[in-house]
Amino acid sequence: MSGVPERVSLDVALKIINAMIKFAKDNAMLPGSYAVVDEGGHVVAFERRDNAPAATADIAIDKAWTAATMKASGRILEVITRGQGWRLNVKHKGRLTIIPGAIPIIAHGRIIGGVGHSGGSAEDDLKIAQAGWAAIFREEDFNVDVEEKLSLARRIANEVISIVRKESLKPVSVSVVDEWGNLILLYRMDNAPFGTLELARDKAWTAAAFRIPSEKVSIYYNGSPLSINWNERLTPVPGGMPLVYDGKFVGGLGISGNTPTEDRRIAIEAVKSLGLQVFE
Amino acid sequence: MEEYDVTIIGSGIAGATVARELSKYKISVLVIEKNSDVGLEMTSTNMTLVCQGGDSLTFRPGTLHAELNVKSIPLWPKLTKELGVPFKRIGGLGLIRDKADYLKFLKMYSRAFKSSLKPDAPYYISEKDFQPLQFLDRRSLRELEPNINPKVIGALYDPNLAVTDPIKLTKALAENARANGVDFLLENEVKHVERKEGYFVINTDKTSVKSKFVVNAAGINVDRIAEMVKARNFTYVPTKGVLTDFDEETSEIFRHQAFYLPRLGEPHVKAVVPIIYGGLRVGIYLDFVMRSDKNLPPQGLQHNLNVIKEIVPDYPFEKHIKRTFFGIMPLTNAETGWHDFIIDIPEHVPNWINIVLGPAGVSASPMLGEKVVELLSMSGLYLEPKPNFDPSAKRGVRE
Ligand SMILES: Cc1cc2nc3c(=O)[nH]c(=O)nc-3n(C[C@H](O)[C@H](O)[C@H](O)COP(=O)(O)OP(=O)(O)OC[C@H]3O[C@@H](n4cnc5c(N)ncnc54)[C@H](O)[C@@H]3O)c2cc1C
Repeated sequence: MSGVPERVSLDVALKIINAMIKFAKDNAMLPGSYAVVDEGGHVVAFERRDNAPAATADIAIDKAWTAATMKASGRILEVITRGQGWRLNVKHKGRLTIIPGAIPIIAHGRIIGGVGHSGGSAEDDLKIAQAGWAAIFREEDFNVDVEEKLSLARRIANEVISIVRKESLKPVSVSVVDEWGNLILLYRMDNAPFGTLELARDKAWTAAAFRIPSEKVSIYYNGSPLSINWNERLTPVPGGMPLVYDGKFVGGLGISGNTPTEDRRIAIEAVKSLGLQVFE
Repeated sequence: MEEYDVTIIGSGIAGATVARELSKYKISVLVIEKNSDVGLEMTSTNMTLVCQGGDSLTFRPGTLHAELNVKSIPLWPKLTKELGVPFKRIGGLGLIRDKADYLKFLKMYSRAFKSSLKPDAPYYISEKDFQPLQFLDRRSLRELEPNINPKVIGALYDPNLAVTDPIKLTKALAENARANGVDFLLENEVKHVERKEGYFVINTDKTSVKSKFVVNAAGINVDRIAEMVKARNFTYVPTKGVLTDFDEETSEIFRHQAFYLPRLGEPHVKAVVPIIYGGLRVGIYLDFVMRSDKNLPPQGLQHNLNVIKEIVPDYPFEKHIKRTFFGIMPLTNAETGWHDFIIDIPEHVPNWINIVLGPAGVSASPMLGEKVVELLSMSGLYLEPKPNFDPSAKRGVRE
């Protein structure tokens, strides 16, 4: 990577996340959730480390969203709102997260995105998020080893991305959730529309929630291909796959970006090439 | 392998100050510097200002940045005299364009006095070390600076503000440390550090040394060096500051340090400093960059020319440009602008001290030594004063 980036690409976002994980590990801080969003506040990359509380996922994402869309860091917002941030929070349907650990990504005198970390004390969250932003000014990459579950999620996501690139398909969002449907990883390839984010995430959730491919859920549980609509996460369209590794159910994968059948095929190929159980 | 009690990585103002302070004690000290001489990085590319008065009193209370700068005020005259380094009080002018500026200065000024001139203040300075600041009206300002922009309606005058020669000071500190027994290893770049039980092994591109304590004063590279032993518990963003020097003739045109307060949408500093050997230094165009960035942005000179013309409108400064150059400094809390120094032992790496200075680091340097000595003795290094320490002796760092 040469020079300070003009925008938050997936590569930039992953560099930021790796820098945050390295910083947290070097300083023996608790494992947490790491989010990077673009200038519109939409996730470019998100990761949650093993043993990080599941609830930290959305807090990290919402912190990054807050910094990018309020164009200010959590600490500045705390001062501006004089500790009354919760009032604004209510207005924003609970999304506005005025807590340290929310940092705008400033580059070339502009705000091009946001970084959010959740999982530690306020001071640690802040320090980790700062380490993330500052990584865009570092020449070198930060390569870190991550724990078992996140490591598997990374391998799956990278496999999906490499299939998309190899076959020149449309860029996708890819998501991995754990056995409880809680987010572990969410990547959005460059130029994938942000609408694909929630679709990918919800397909992964759907597959994990019922332990069958997402599109089978309506037929199996509803007796008809017509969508059932009792849960806003439920997305019974192709592209979500349960993940079974070494005979053990570990979570779900969701892909969105191409036609549902195409997304489904990518998912099947990705799990196949990594030796996970294939659900045709 | 050579063995030392303390090894200092880097010999800018920070490393040299610490070396000299430690040369007062009966311990073995080594300084490792990658360049062929000391003080050639950040210490040679700055405004040369010694924040001696109102300005250091307005730094955020409770920060090291404020504490060390304020406590350094009384130390400067003696230090520069001992070492034979130039130190000149030029006086500073906080320029007032309108009522908003005036009210801001009024607030800064009263906070400054509240925080330091009362005997029970956290960082007390006695009146003898500090001339009071005063507001100048249009007429008295014109008497001091006849060429000033007629739109400026007054100024907050600070007679304490001084300039020095930071490179010469760094050399003098290093040479004094050398004369008092500190070893120097020049042209050695630290590449890799190993943390062992009770000591560190520091590997340069040429040799390896063993040391019980390490003071990491590598300027813009403090983070990289700290990462070698997982001792980076801080973050900063490399910040490029572009400066322009105008020739000696311009010394006749303007004689004080002067600055405008920052305004919304104006992220760059607007200041002029008459440097100690003549000529004006103007800046500062700022940008967050990678530290390897060698590019001199054209907006830099443009900004600096605009600044000096906003201070003195009727003078052909274009014809008096000597050079435009930049320095890269570490800025902590860059996302909020709440910069602070770091002089700290990381929680998980004992016997290791990181020093990150950044803005106003030269000004705060006289207090640095004491701070590091405090940290070292807290870590169990026994420091017995040398009876024969000579505060003025010099010996070349290559000898
Ligand atoms: C534009 C600008 C204006 C400024 N204006 C002022 C001002 O008016 N007043 C003021 O007080 N301060 C000012 N400053 C700040 C001041 O210059 C710094 O705080 C101070 O110089 C920092 O000194 P240092 O010793 O920490 O860093 P440096 O002077 O950079 O010293 C670090 C040393 O470490 C060496 N080093 C680095 N890596 C290695 C390695 N791997 N192995 C061996 N050696 C290594 C370097 O060669 C260097 O000599 C300004 C700074 C800038 C950039």
